[in-house]
Amino acid sequence: MLTDSLPNENATRKFKEFEYFGSKSDFSYYLLPFRFHNINEQREILVNEIGDFLIVPTGTAELIIERKINPIAYPELYGDLIANFFISEQPIPSLIDVLATRYRTKKSFLDYFTSLHIFVISLRCEHTCHYCQVSRVTSDKSRYDMSKEHIDAGIEMMMQSPNPHVTMEFQGGEALLAFDNIIYAVEKAKEAAIMRKKTVSYVICTNLAPLTEEMLIYFKENNILISTSLDGPDFIHNKNRHKPHSNSYQYAVNGIIKCREELGAENVSALLTTTNLSLQYPEEIVDEYVRLGFKNMFLRPISPYGFATRNEGKNKYVTQEFLEFYKKALKKIIQYNLDGHFIREDYASIILKKMLTPFPVGYVDLQSPAGLINSVIVFNYDGEIYATDESRMLAEMKDFTFKLGTLGINTYEEVFYGKKSLELSEAFLNESLPGCSDCAFQSYCGADPVFNYTTQGDIYGHRPTSSFCQRNMEIMRHLIELMDSDKKIEKIFRTWITGKN
Amino acid sequence: MNFHINDHQLCLLIDGRQYNEKVLYKCFYWYSNNYSVDIDIETGPFYKITLQATKESDSLSWNHLIEKIKKDLIDFKLRDIISQETQTIRELIVAKAFAYYEIQETPQTNISDPVGFNPENVLEC
Amino acid sequence: MQLKTKGKPHNIFYPVVGRVTKDHTANAEILLIEGEIPTDAITRFSLVLTTLDIDKAIDKPSVYAIPGFEHLSEGDIVLVNTSGMINTLYRVNSNHNFLLFTERCNSNCLMCSQPPKNRDDTSYFFDTYKQLIPLIPKNCFELGITGGEPTLLGERFFQLLELLASNLPETEIHCLTNGRTFAWPHITNRLGELSYNRLMLGIPIYSDYYQLHDYVVQAKGAFDQTIQGLYNLAKNNIRVELRIVLHKQTIPRLAQLAKFIYKNLPFAEHITFMGLEYQGYTPHNIDKLWIDPVDYSDILSEAINYLSDYGMNVSIYNSQLCTTPKNIWQFARKSISDWKNIYLDECNKCAVLNECGGLFQSNAAKHSAYIKAIMQE
Repeated sequence: MLTDSLPNENATRKFKEFEYFGSKSDFSYYLLPFRFHNINEQREILVNEIGDFLIVPTGTAELIIERKINPIAYPELYGDLIANFFISEQPIPSLIDVLATRYRTKKSFLDYFTSLHIFVISLRCEHTCHYCQVSRVTSDKSRYDMSKEHIDAGIEMMMQSPNPHVTMEFQGGEALLAFDNIIYAVEKAKEAAIMRKKTVSYVICTNLAPLTEEMLIYFKENNILISTSLDGPDFIHNKNRHKPHSNSYQYAVNGIIKCREELGAENVSALLTTTNLSLQYPEEIVDEYVRLGFKNMFLRPISPYGFATRNEGKNKYVTQEFLEFYKKALKKIIQYNLDGHFIREDYASIILKKMLTPFPVGYVDLQSPAGLINSVIVFNYDGEIYATDESRMLAEMKDFTFKLGTLGINTYEEVFYGKKSLELSEAFLNESLPGCSDCAFQSYCGADPVFNYTTQGDIYGHRPTSSFCQRNMEIMRHLIELMDSDKKIEKIFRTWITGKN
Repeated sequence: MNFHINDHQLCLLIDGRQYNEKVLYKCFYWYSNNYSVDIDIETGPFYKITLQATKESDSLSWNHLIEKIKKDLIDFKLRDIISQETQTIRELIVAKAFAYYEIQETPQTNISDPVGFNPENVLEC
Repeated sequence: MQLKTKGKPHNIFYPVVGRVTKDHTANAEILLIEGEIPTDAITRFSLVLTTLDIDKAIDKPSVYAIPGFEHLSEGDIVLVNTSGMINTLYRVNSNHNFLLFTERCNSNCLMCSQPPKNRDDTSYFFDTYKQLIPLIPKNCFELGITGGEPTLLGERFFQLLELLASNLPETEIHCLTNGRTFAWPHITNRLGELSYNRLMLGIPIYSDYYQLHDYVVQAKGAFDQTIQGLYNLAKNNIRVELRIVLHKQTIPRLAQLAKFIYKNLPFAEHITFMGLEYQGYTPHNIDKLWIDPVDYSDILSEAINYLSDYGMNVSIYNSQLCTTPKNIWQFARKSISDWKNIYLDECNKCAVLNECGGLFQSNAAKHSAYIKAIMQE
């Protein structure tokens, strides 16, 4: 009876009942790829191959897999499952091209290849932060500033990226101590960009202490973005960021105010580094960011590199404590939004964008294929090329595993498609990593071979003991639980994604 | 599922016809943070799983642990079923997503115009 | 709104399309005569329409004894049939002009306001519009294409679009189609080749769940075809608008539909949620369709806010402000074509009458039970 419609189906124009339009009378269906995970005692999440999810009562996945769902007993769920590509009434769904197109879209952050080019313009710094991973307090420019030859070679390599838009990020040490180097590099890059028909965004990561009027004018003229550090109220910031005989917090705040005045608030951002001390003050830190008028903050865990891991007493905290800190701070941030004050948490926003939108999100630390090489490359002050910012910090500990070559010596092909890159690419995909391949959060998460190597000794990693895994699994679960529990929170999350209040 | 418990050790005897080797490995992988896990082939279709408590092991009772294992085994078996049943379609999605040439497929269904319009008769240009 | 009139035909052997004028020196094809007949001036016109009852006084093709021309303005374009029937095809003083490409349709929507006819009218309409399009003023802002299903014209659909593109390059063309034909890639590619940036296709989607959509449009496989069509259109950079009629069948999954649209069809340039018109099939199917707009206000507001939060461009058509939650008033448009737009007596007292879209004339017989004048605060 349920045959394909004939050309004369409408010849009589007689209306047919709903049931007529079902394609199956026996209620059989096929599974499409999806993964599931418990959110809490009552709820579980189902996530399909393109990252769309349904939050359903616990046990639903089992019912689906055991073919206990049908459109009569579960009309709404059945429709949800069909419409969201969890099950199909045909062995190959008729809309498979939609799935394929959306899959490609989700992965399209790869299309243009490496965008972010980090230039460690100087390793010198006037701060002695206890968690600092690399810096040196010295005036030895010749040894710790990037040479002009290396800057030239770095720009040349950046211009060879297939990406029509590249970002040139200056890091340190304290980048502004080598302001002459920055001017040289920006001017060179501007010339090269015209020749190579590329657009370049410039970012300077700085503690703002050495900021001068002259610098501000130059930033403004060249649309340079400022990324600074603010760890919270003065008693936390100054303890974290020790600057001999002065007040680092005051420098940062004054600098932020000046930069906003000159460059506009949207061109100044601040990063938070979470230390053992910060863990006790989640609310105070959020309040401080709100007080200073920030519309966003980034709750970053401390990275397990460089001096940070050596200074264990001060900085080694367990993931559990960070997660508690994170949740408390997030709760406070959400409360500000509920009270009508817009402020966004950036890490959650990145994950939420992956969960809630159909668009690609290329965030270096949370993508598959991994961000290293594919999205970021680091040119160190001494001309060595590393896969990520963290890799050069390992190098400071005399581990050169992620060194890809040397500026001025190795060609673009040798660096990006060389033996080292190929070896690393084995661990690029969380789709094929143990513990990740079945994980419901796979499409929201990423692979981080450098993190795995640093913390666990190999680039593949061991998920059950991985703090990367524990942290992300729990943050993702928590975000989903929040959305599921309160529609008002989901609505706030939407504003975080679009930035539209 | 048979089990017996020594002081610091849980031994499980699991029927491979119920939970295949892949399911067992995927499931007990997640216990390798707090336990030293051994998976051995026993006689017949059976596997012997030994969980040896390490110093990281939490103070959960063995009974509680067994309940958790039972639940996890079911979940990993379900995941295994999805993975088996959908492997072809997953490969097809990825292949189509990254195909160099896009194959444009014509619908197999009918346009159902009673007067007889046929899209195939419209010229390409 | 009067759109046709009739008189006695004389010497008309084929349908004539032309601009009307009362000024015998104007640039037009059809002269309207109410008083004396200026015998020497009529030679440059191809046809004469007159209210006079004067059969054989003129040897021109003509229609006489017409009741009146009050509904016609200088430059309006009419179709004069051999029967003496005079249809207004284009009104210069309206922003709601549309071309009905065909009355054929391959769907049969439960709430169709203009039920399809199973006869091949395509050459009739094609011949008419081939004459009409070159006469339309070049400053025409917007022109609708409707049906039936316009794409069923096949080859002629493209010919008419090309004619529109060359004659009216500045005019926004808004074409209502069920989009199913575009599931055939070669047809969509051909439309893409036109690079017709002024063209926007308005395509209905009634549910995220195929069976429900197919039921509403009464055609098996329609959902898949429409979705594939939309993807083919997007690949060809053809602009699309999605149209959702709000009724008892579409309301229960409306929030899911909004999500489906954002996830799968984020390329849609505009999404309109439309109140039900009490016309065509609707009165017949009213039991299957009617839900009071007040009873769907929460779900509508959820769907609209969801899409709008994600930056999608959303509108509500055919709604009255007094039955629409205030938090989505900003999306309500005055959308009903002038010639079928009414207000109720109650509305005269309303403080927001000027901002309100009112009702379809047909909805005088069936509308929300909660229509009530909003008093000034």
